[in-house]
Amino acid sequence: MLDVRGQSDGFLVRRVLEGDTAAYAGLVNRYRDRLARYATRMLGNAADAEEALQDAFVRGYRYLARCSDPERFGAWLFGILVNRCRTLGSQRARRQRHIVHDESAMARASVSHSEGGADLMEAIEHAVAQLQPAQREAFLLKYVEEMSYEEMTRLTGTRISALKMRVSRARQELRRLLEGVDGV
Amino acid sequence: MSDSDNGLKQVIDLLKQPVSLDSSFDEKVMEQVESVPPPRAWARSLWTAANWMRRGRTLTVSPLQGLALAAGVVAALFVGRMWVKPDSAVSPGPTAAVAEAALVHFVIVAPGAGSVSLVGDFNDWAALETPMHRVEGNGVWSVSIPLTTGRYRYAFLVDGTTWLSDPSAPPALDDEFGRPGSVLTVGEL
Amino acid sequence: MMARMRSALALLGLATALNVTLAPSGSAQEPRLESRVPEPTRSEINAILDSAGAAGLPTEPLVDRALEGVAKGADPDRILAAVRRLSGELRLAYDALGPRSSAAEIISGASAIRAGARSEDLAYLRELRADQPLTVAAATLADLVAVGVPADTAIAAVIALAEEADDAHYVAFRRNVERDIALGASPVAALGVRLEATAADVFRSAGQSPDSRPRPRKP
Repeated sequence: MLDVRGQSDGFLVRRVLEGDTAAYAGLVNRYRDRLARYATRMLGNAADAEEALQDAFVRGYRYLARCSDPERFGAWLFGILVNRCRTLGSQRARRQRHIVHDESAMARASVSHSEGGADLMEAIEHAVAQLQPAQREAFLLKYVEEMSYEEMTRLTGTRISALKMRVSRARQELRRLLEGVDGV
Repeated sequence: MSDSDNGLKQVIDLLKQPVSLDSSFDEKVMEQVESVPPPRAWARSLWTAANWMRRGRTLTVSPLQGLALAAGVVAALFVGRMWVKPDSAVSPGPTAAVAEAALVHFVIVAPGAGSVSLVGDFNDWAALETPMHRVEGNGVWSVSIPLTTGRYRYAFLVDGTTWLSDPSAPPALDDEFGRPGSVLTVGEL
Repeated sequence: MMARMRSALALLGLATALNVTLAPSGSAQEPRLESRVPEPTRSEINAILDSAGAAGLPTEPLVDRALEGVAKGADPDRILAAVRRLSGELRLAYDALGPRSSAAEIISGASAIRAGARSEDLAYLRELRADQPLTVAAATLADLVAVGVPADTAIAAVIALAEEADDAHYVAFRRNVERDIALGASPVAALGVRLEATAADVFRSAGQSPDSRPRPRKP
C-alpha cells in the first residue's frame, strides 16, 4: 500500500495515470474536508454537498488526464467542484430542503441566544442560503476560501469587476438579512 | 449585523468552521472510481499539448457536402520540437508532439475564371498564398489544405478581383466588409 | 524512454497551454499588420489586441478580421469597427464559457453571440457540455441562423441536443436542415423535423431506449 503522506499531488496524479487507482484515495483524503466545506456552504445541506463532492471526485478521476498541472491538482479539482455545485444548485433551487424560510422560523432565528451557538450558525446559514447563487459563490470563494480575485476569475471564468460587484452585494445583503440577529 | 467589519468577520469565522464528512465517504468515492474507465497517461500529453479532446480519431469537418464530400483526411501534420532541461530523472533530448489536422478539400465551379485563390483566416487573407488548381475540362477549381480544430472564415477570389462565397458552406453571418464570405468549422480531432 | 517522452510532452503541453490560454498574446506591434494596415488604424488595432490579450481572449481572430478587411478593400474605420465589435463578442463568449475553454470554443461562442445567442445561453451550453467540446455546437447555432432559422429557435435546438450529441450529430443536423431549406422547406419546419430525427439518433447511439430518452424541447 502506497504511503501517501508527504507525496506531492503531482506524484500521486502520475501514479494514478500509470494505472495505480488506489493512489487516488490519497488525493481524495487530502482534499475531502476543504472541498466538503465549500460544497456544504454553497448548497446549504450535507446530503447535496456530499453528492456534489462525490461527483467532483469521480469526474476528477475520469478526466485526470486533462489536469495540465498535476502539482495543482487541488485547485483543478476545486474548479470541477464549483461547477458541480452550480449544476446541482440550479437543479435543487426549488426544493430548498433543509432550509427553513417560513415566517416563524425567521422569527426564531432573530431571537437567537447570545452564546453564539447553533442558533446563530443556523441564522447565518439561512442568510447565506438567501443570497443569489452567483453572489453566494463569490462571497464564499473570497472570504471563506480566501481566494484572490485573480484566482477567482481563473476558477469561475467571470471577470474581476463582476466578481467584486457580487461580493459587495453579498456583503450588503448579509448585513441586511442578519440585522438584529444577536451575536453578530 | 453591525455596521463594522467585525460582524462580517464573525460570520466568516463561523462559515470557515470545518465540515465533517461521514467516515465512509472515501470508500464510497473509491467504489465509484473503480467502476470508471481508468484515465490514461498518454492522453494527458495529447490533451495538454493541443487542448484537444479525448475522442480518439473522430474527425468532423463542416461543411462537408456537395463536391466537398471528396474531402480527404490525413493525420499528423505538425511536429513541435523542444528540449527538456536536464534533471535527475530526465536527460535532455529532442522530442516531438504530433498533433493532427484535417486535410480539407475546397471546390468551386468557375468555368470562365483565369485564376482562383482560396483566401481566409488560415492564410492571413493573403490573396496569392493558396492558388486553386483547375480540374481539366469542367470549370472546377480545387485545393486541399490542412486545418486544425477551429472556426474559419474564407472566400474565393476570382481573377484577383471578384469575391465568391462557398455555395456548399454556411455564409459568414458577420459580413462587415461588403463582400461575400463563408465559414467552416473543424470539430475536435 | 517512454517516461522521458511523456514528461517532455507534458512540459511542451503545459507551455503550449500557457501560451494559448494565459499569456497575453496581443503584442505591442502585431507584425502581420505592419505592411498591410496603415496608421493610425494599426495602432488602434494593436491597442485592442493588447487589451484582449491581457484579458485572456484569443487575439488571432482579431488579427484575422483586420486582415480580412484589408484583403476585401474595406476602409480603415470599418475595419476598426469590425475588430472592436468582434473583441466585445469574444469577451462575452469568454465570460460565459469560462477561462478553461479552448480558443476555438471561445471563437465559436463569439459567432453564436453574433447570431443572437445571449451570454446565459452560452453558459448553459457550457454547463450541459461540461465534459465535451462545444466548438461545433456553438458554430451550429450560428450557422443555422445564417441560413434563416430564427435565433431563439436555433438556440433551443442546439441546447436540446447538448448533453448527448457529439460533433458529428451537430454537423449532420445542420447539413440536413440546410438541405431541406435549399429544397424549399421553411427554416422552422425543417429544423423541427430534423431535430426530432437527430434526437432519435443521438439517444440511440447513447444506448438509451426511446422510452427513457428526454424529448427535445420544441423550438
